[in-house]
Amino acid sequence: MEIIISDEVKAGIEGKALKVDEIKALINGAEASKDKITNGSKFLAKKKLGDVTVYADYSEEGGALKVNSVYAHKMILQDIVMDTADTEWTYVKTGAKIRKGHTNLSFMGATRSAPSLVDPASGESWLEEYLAAKTIAVAEMLFSQKRA
Amino acid sequence: MGYEELFPKNDLSGWHANAAKRFASPFVDNFHDRIDVDPIILSNAAVNCGFTIRDFYEKPELGIHCVGYISELFDLLPVTHWFFSLPWVRELGMTLEYKETLPPVPTGPILDADGVEGLEPICKTDLQNGSTIPLFFNLYDYVQKNLPHTLVPISYGFDLVGASAELIGVEEFIMWTFTEPDLAHKLVDTYVQTSINGAEVMADKFGFAMLIVGSVLANNDIFSDDAVEEFSAKKMGTYVDQCFRRGAGPQVFYHLCGNHETDYKVFKENLLWSPFNVLHIGYQGQKVFPSDLLKSEFQDVTTCMGSVDTKLMINPNPAKVYEQAKESLLAGRDSKKGFILGNSCETPPYTIPGNLLAMVRAARDFGTYGTW
Repeated sequence: MEIIISDEVKAGIEGKALKVDEIKALINGAEASKDKITNGSKFLAKKKLGDVTVYADYSEEGGALKVNSVYAHKMILQDIVMDTADTEWTYVKTGAKIRKGHTNLSFMGATRSAPSLVDPASGESWLEEYLAAKTIAVAEMLFSQKRA
Repeated sequence: MGYEELFPKNDLSGWHANAAKRFASPFVDNFHDRIDVDPIILSNAAVNCGFTIRDFYEKPELGIHCVGYISELFDLLPVTHWFFSLPWVRELGMTLEYKETLPPVPTGPILDADGVEGLEPICKTDLQNGSTIPLFFNLYDYVQKNLPHTLVPISYGFDLVGASAELIGVEEFIMWTFTEPDLAHKLVDTYVQTSINGAEVMADKFGFAMLIVGSVLANNDIFSDDAVEEFSAKKMGTYVDQCFRRGAGPQVFYHLCGNHETDYKVFKENLLWSPFNVLHIGYQGQKVFPSDLLKSEFQDVTTCMGSVDTKLMINPNPAKVYEQAKESLLAGRDSKKGFILGNSCETPPYTIPGNLLAMVRAARDFGTYGTW
């Protein structure tokens, strides 16, 4: 399926030192493996690229896949700490209901938890964009400062 | 003359450099020196510098400079804070008055049921033109200029239930939780939304803003576990979630003041746990909340803060403080995500200096990393 990426989203991808082709490969991989979650109107897929975990938020529109946004975090997803409630998200690969929860993240030798979307059965976790782009981004900066 | 002229500079290369490394320890597992002591010093710092409790609250820049200065005396935190428990209520129409021996207190309730029905959250623009935001902007501008090594921009939700209750009167609010629960929820939700807007204004200016939020009025002396969950824990979770969405955080200090004998169980699943949070619980019944229970329940999601009873801090018996601090440290010091030693609430204004020294001595004796 064709993947449409606007100039604005492309600029955001390049601003994160990522390549557009890498994002297309991420999405193609998620489509082939069904390793993605959906809330009925859009999909969220993730892949570790080098030192960062990259997410593509995309929708199906008129027979093509439109990329809404791309974001990333350096903290490494580890084990699920707890899950507390169902969400609107479903794991396409298994049909499992995605839960609201917390996941351990490791970074620079420390492990701390953060709010996340989780699938307890597979152990998979996803961070939503607002967390990765704001809360976790500042946390990574503070970790770097405090570990210095 | 500015307040900064009243104080010698902090020892930056000696005390502060060491305290800063120590302060980072529980959050990033870069263990340095010993477990930190945070007695939640507020007006006690002013008293220790020869000023009054009223001075502390009426002159925030003086108050925060006292905190920054006196922290060096007791080898406490390398960061400063200044606050009182009722942010944002003036924007919602309440009048506060300064007292000689207390933080600012409300002159009385201002709303009835009809008033709450029509109550709306205060928007960002109105907050910027109110009193809380200008107060904190001026305060942090002062810190940036005069104590930059101690600056942590903080936005206070503080006691979401307690501050809301003051708007109609605390007794009335407690009644409403039984007789008019929808109105009680509307009142708290309005205060919560106003506090979220305030946090966003702070984050807009500083790029981030530590959050301090607590459950003070909502405790087991007054409410059931279910009521604490509905009126406090869930609202605190919403507050932090929405603040994160708007760029505030990631640091969060959760302060559960008062008796949380059984309601502590409702907080873990309702709060949001970020990579940088501290949880502090004051009491279990009449006794300080046990650090071993705090650790076992919460160490997988947060840095834990144990307590020495604030009542002991004005008792002329430093040995008793030392023993309780020791007990807390031995029980909590190996918490998976770090441990801090505190008081069960703000250190009293007339805390005996020897008692603060006893806490720090205990932290050196039983909280030095690498000795257990």
